[in-house]
Amino acid sequence: MKRTKMKTKWPDKVFVVCNTLFMIAFVVITLYPVLNTVAISFNDGVDAVRGGIHLWPRKFVLKNYDTVLHQQNMLTGAYISVARTVIGTLLALVANALLAYIVSRKRFLFRSQLSLFWVLTMYVNGGLIPVLLVYRSLGLTNSFWVYVIPGMISAFNMLVLRTYMEGLPESLAESAQIDGAGDFKIFTRIISPLCKPVYATVALFVAVGQWNSWFDAMIYNRMKPEYTTLQYELMKLLSSVMQQSGSATNMASAGQAATVTPVSVRAAATVVTMLPIICLYPFLQRYFVTGLTIGGVKE
Amino acid sequence: MKLRKMTALFLSAAMAATMMTGFTASAEEGEYSDDEIISFTMFSAMPGSEINDDNEIMDIIAHKVGAKVKETWLTGQTAAEAVGTIIASGDLPDFIDGGDGMMALYDEGALVAWDDYLEQYPNLKEMYTDEEWNSFRQDDGHIYWANVFQNSYGENRSTTHNDEAFWVQARVLEWAGYPEIKTLDQYFDLLEGYYEANPTMEDGTPNIPYTILCDDWRYFCIENAPEFLDGYPNDGSVIVDKSDPSAPKIVDYNTTETAKKYFQKLNEEYNKGMIDGEFATQIYDEYIAKLSTGAVLGMCDQWWDFAFTVNDVFKQQGLDLKGCNYVPLGLTIEEGMDNRWHTYDDTLNNSSGCAVTTSCEDPDAAFKFMNDILDQEIHDLRFWGIEGVDYLVDDDGMYYRTEEMRMQAADTAYQASHFCQYSYMPQWLGTSRDGINAMQPSEQTSEFFSGLAEPLKACFEAYGAENYPDMIGSIVEHNEPWFPMYSFSNAMTTETPGGVAWTKMGEVKHEWLPQVVMSSDFEGTWEQYMEAYNDTNPQDFLDEMQEELNRRAGIE
Amino acid sequence: MKRKAKTKAAKVPITWKEIKRQKFLIICSLIFVIYGIIFYYVPLGGWLMAFENYKPRTGLLGSKFVGLDKFRFLFSDATFLRVIRNTLAMGVINLVATFVMAILFAILLNEIRFGFGKKLVQTISYLPHFLSWIIVTGILHDALSNSGVVNELLMNLGIVDRAVNFFANKSYFWPIVAFANVWKETGWNAIIYLAAITSIDPSLYEAAAIDGAGRFAKIKNITLPSIKPTIMILLLMNIGNVLNAGFEVQYLLGNGLVKKVSETIDIYVLTWGISQNDYSLGTAAGIFKSVVAIILIVIANQVAKRSGEQRLF
Repeated sequence: MKRTKMKTKWPDKVFVVCNTLFMIAFVVITLYPVLNTVAISFNDGVDAVRGGIHLWPRKFVLKNYDTVLHQQNMLTGAYISVARTVIGTLLALVANALLAYIVSRKRFLFRSQLSLFWVLTMYVNGGLIPVLLVYRSLGLTNSFWVYVIPGMISAFNMLVLRTYMEGLPESLAESAQIDGAGDFKIFTRIISPLCKPVYATVALFVAVGQWNSWFDAMIYNRMKPEYTTLQYELMKLLSSVMQQSGSATNMASAGQAATVTPVSVRAAATVVTMLPIICLYPFLQRYFVTGLTIGGVKE
Repeated sequence: MKLRKMTALFLSAAMAATMMTGFTASAEEGEYSDDEIISFTMFSAMPGSEINDDNEIMDIIAHKVGAKVKETWLTGQTAAEAVGTIIASGDLPDFIDGGDGMMALYDEGALVAWDDYLEQYPNLKEMYTDEEWNSFRQDDGHIYWANVFQNSYGENRSTTHNDEAFWVQARVLEWAGYPEIKTLDQYFDLLEGYYEANPTMEDGTPNIPYTILCDDWRYFCIENAPEFLDGYPNDGSVIVDKSDPSAPKIVDYNTTETAKKYFQKLNEEYNKGMIDGEFATQIYDEYIAKLSTGAVLGMCDQWWDFAFTVNDVFKQQGLDLKGCNYVPLGLTIEEGMDNRWHTYDDTLNNSSGCAVTTSCEDPDAAFKFMNDILDQEIHDLRFWGIEGVDYLVDDDGMYYRTEEMRMQAADTAYQASHFCQYSYMPQWLGTSRDGINAMQPSEQTSEFFSGLAEPLKACFEAYGAENYPDMIGSIVEHNEPWFPMYSFSNAMTTETPGGVAWTKMGEVKHEWLPQVVMSSDFEGTWEQYMEAYNDTNPQDFLDEMQEELNRRAGIE
Repeated sequence: MKRKAKTKAAKVPITWKEIKRQKFLIICSLIFVIYGIIFYYVPLGGWLMAFENYKPRTGLLGSKFVGLDKFRFLFSDATFLRVIRNTLAMGVINLVATFVMAILFAILLNEIRFGFGKKLVQTISYLPHFLSWIIVTGILHDALSNSGVVNELLMNLGIVDRAVNFFANKSYFWPIVAFANVWKETGWNAIIYLAAITSIDPSLYEAAAIDGAGRFAKIKNITLPSIKPTIMILLLMNIGNVLNAGFEVQYLLGNGLVKKVSETIDIYVLTWGISQNDYSLGTAAGIFKSVVAIILIVIANQVAKRSGEQRLF
């Protein structure tokens, strides 16, 4: 080994050690709340009220999961949640990508105006009831479509996509244009294949948003249990357990032990929500976390 | 939809037939088949437990009375917001309890008047006296809803003190030989004495003599004791001084001498180390966790705010056998005063209740349903369950539950699949029509006593008390016509100066009271607090309360 | 990097020929504009509420018109001004903290050569995003209590001799909130930067390695400049959100002792608007926030434009 090479390598080694230590610390700190939630979700509800549970359940039970999974309409809810996540993500991805493509075209005449039009939507909000009235007059209430149509375009996602598209070499689109390709073709054949990482990112954002939302199910489909969502069912369960633990109406007599508590049900519901996403995640992750081959360098 | 109309039509025909035969249709004759059963919907603007669609008792009741109700509850919204969105969405359920949003429903013209149906359905009519019914009349002279809670049939049977009190663990009283504790000073002397003799629990956990919850809206635990210490009932936001019976007067309990004495006492105890050092920053969950360890000797709180959860934990951990359960003490600031911590009478809240909406296609069937579920047989099904399964009957006709039945009844999943209380529809408390049992199991004396741990029983016996209300020993008297004044202050908005002052007063108290308790210079901090307090114009609030009091008391 | 200056000069004039050429783009954008008007701009009719004493029973068109009364109420209240300060302070602190941490994390993660470890760390890092605030603040309360792990650590290390009551001290509140935000969202926020990093041409790193560039040089000269457009866009968007410092965290972590620094605009609206059934006040505060946000992003966008950076519009 030459001495010069050793010299340049030395700070790199320190860096690697520090970086690894940092990552370990980071993982410990972020993993703790998650493991804590898992531990509580397997712990007896009444016992969990005493606090002091860290990484391992003190009194192991499956009752919390039993309660969560036996919540009425759980199956319908899961089905609708999956449907809205799949359909909603596809629609949102197509719409946002197309819009992002349009505003990323340098030659486009109304580029700045169209961008501004959408940027403003991020900072203004008409309020719950006016929005409800609009949806109602469009016939979107009491239907499945209220989950996927209104939120289809989000300026945030559109801008993320646009930024990525603008970073692609312009020569690609230009040469295609010279070959006589129209905008639609450039968008589908040239740009989109290069946008996989950002498409995966936006798909993840939209999918998680769809999967987690429950408020819309309650507001727009209150009288339609067939369009309930998983999250709404979990919210209802949680609110019912909270109500029970704090009121006399459901307590048949004094000294009767409840079986689940808000703390334990909340933990179990959180795990049930997280699990499908954790399982799906690796399939998306490979698009934006690359191993040695693309982002890194062979040394 | 069509099917429902058809069945409704069929049902009214069937009803007409029974009416002609002389209205004697009882449960046996009135069995309904599956396709005769009408399905109603209901929304209650309160969090609650949704029961399963195939709930067993719901099914039994449906076959007996010919209808069932699918209930939905408030989730993650305020009542008024929920009612607002329901009105805007145009999809009203058949029944609704709008809570704070009740007036909006009335103004929207979305409710069906009860007046005609009351004459038709005796069980409904029986719920209230004419005078009480009149209090539900709106400005158009009609009745649109009936509150269903706190309404006793026959003798009042309440066994718990579901109100505020200074609580103390049974073990502390036992240690001291069950002394008479009447004043705040005696109470803290007791806690101090016990703590000195027993700094830790058996397992070594340090005892906490006293803690105070100040989290968010639950800061009433620090805030409103002066009202009770002066011997006044739970009017909530103010004291009503009726020393001149012809002209009752509003008094602000925040600025009385008693208030200052009370906070000075807390401050003194805090500086002595008798009060939990983290009291001001603990959140509700931490407070409950702390109580659940059994280490907290005493605190001031409402029963419903802690007892259900904490008693469950005590039972599970065996702490109830060590005398950790809390008993209420009826403290006053001086000795020899009457205390009014416990409210004996029903508190009629006429601002909300169960209502039928104009979206209901067959209002008559809806009112009939409410009437039918008040029949004793159905009422027993709703609250006691099925005889032989959920409760047993002894030779004297007394209902009771085995330990196993009690456990089962507490199971969330079992509740959802089995019990159907219709808990926001007309119901009774008090004594059953059989004259023996309580309308609801929670008030059955035998059920109550069999659930008590030994140290608690011993404590009750030592004081000659049969239940919690006896223990606190409040003076027995009827509610004044204006009681409770908090029903007015709760409805105040920022549209009036009084409403603005009321919110500001709350903000200032929330901010300052913990500081007053923790201060090393009580007088100085109290001054500062009073200054901030007076800046909120409390007089605006008190004036509006006085006006309302005069109105309620019938003074021009 | 030079390409931006070049395209800026080439401003395309609006001509029929150009319109015809951009037919596809224009038709599509028209559809999107109609969609946007229906779903985002029509509901803004609800802003009328801020100028009336809105009651659900009288509705949007029937409620009493009160002009600027609601705004006057807000701005004449000293508390509201303090609340704006709190919101702004926490908004800025949170923005800086979460922003810097996410970028730092993404870059450092990218430097990990061990593929499995990298994926594992990344997967773990975003998980707290799925915990609700009530869970996160509960754990934080636990960790910072007198007998919690932080006090234990501080006492064992001899830094303090008696337990610090973190939630009783006003000066700790903003940092605690910022930490909570960083804790919950760093991994999630980093995803976007990780995606941007993947678009970097690997040959750039190779060329740098041949030139003898170390890790820091590569980060400084290749990684950072490559994700700069993404950083700029997110920064611009988030500048508009500084008044949305949230209310759940502050609500769950706050208490009477720190009320003066913990209350945000949203909490204020909850106290004075929603819990008093005064929707108008909430709408007025919402309009105020929107106006501030729009002013902020327009300014920020101008600054970005001047300095030749990526901009929003």
